[in-house]
Amino acid sequence: MVTVALDLDPSKATEWIAAASPTHPTLIDSHHLVDVHLGINNVPMAVWIDESGTLVRPPESASIEPSPLRDMEVTDDLPERMALMFTEVKKFPDVAEDYRAAIADWVEKGSDSRFALEPHEVIAASLPRPLDHSRAAALFALGCHLHDTVGKDAAIPFWKQAHAAHPENWTYKRQAWTLESTPAGESSDMAQEVTDSYGTSWLDDMLALGGGDTYGTRPAL
Amino acid sequence: MILDSLTVDPEAFAAGTGWKSTPEGLCKGAQCVPAPEAITAAGQIDVSAAASKLNMAVVEDTQHGLFAIGPESGGRALTTATVPDLALTDSDGNPFSLTSLHGRKVLLVAWASW
Repeated sequence: MVTVALDLDPSKATEWIAAASPTHPTLIDSHHLVDVHLGINNVPMAVWIDESGTLVRPPESASIEPSPLRDMEVTDDLPERMALMFTEVKKFPDVAEDYRAAIADWVEKGSDSRFALEPHEVIAASLPRPLDHSRAAALFALGCHLHDTVGKDAAIPFWKQAHAAHPENWTYKRQAWTLESTPAGESSDMAQEVTDSYGTSWLDDMLALGGGDTYGTRPAL
Repeated sequence: MILDSLTVDPEAFAAGTGWKSTPEGLCKGAQCVPAPEAITAAGQIDVSAAASKLNMAVVEDTQHGLFAIGPESGGRALTTATVPDLALTDSDGNPFSLTSLHGRKVLLVAWASW
């Protein structure tokens, strides 16, 4: 296991890492290089790599345990937006148990596992990359550079353009939004209502792209 | 790749994009794209010309005099199943090479605090 934290500010990730005390390598990818080089576009996502350094599965949503959010009751006393958000979250495709079993099968059987794909299959299963997505990657990288060297406000115009060029890339969105929506001293803000700075929110963008049913890249098992 | 000029030396272009200038053209792995127009008389890379040949987006920040190049496009997000040796660091800030994991199966999981 290797984990890669897509946190522009590494300290946001290291506080979680310290709490978990993992024994596996814990890496930091502040500028989301794995999006460009591995096709990651949300978290949590995973790729499988064999002993020769070859991908045997493309980037896919990586859950190995059903989320407790799915069992959460959406009650009438919840604020409307929160109720709608939780309703959509409960629709997320959940193949956690199957995915966990697939990993175990591959660990045991290696290339003989039916879940281990050939290189051409891995490439074909990765998402399309039109020129707009290349543009989004360039804009996001430019924004990160400006964030690091000039300041957040210099980055925002480029991150906005990145989001428009690749609406399905949630790491570009959620990373930028968290800088606006997360209260000081908190680790994150699940709702990410960033209307003032970005004119949208996580819920609105998710609904615009089809809602919870289509969120994430479901493993094709 | 962040640039302050649209003319760069081939080594820098290769380091930033993975595309090397060879007699066959611009090459990455087993793929080569003839691109004579992307090589200047001084042997530098004309980034606009190279990006056009490779379907890479180039964006500009005129206020700060910067450019950024996106990855090649027109196909799939993955152009190879060989994992690149990404320049990442571990949580202590030390460089970490994914190739150091060769010999073992690896489940690489991307996550974030947000």
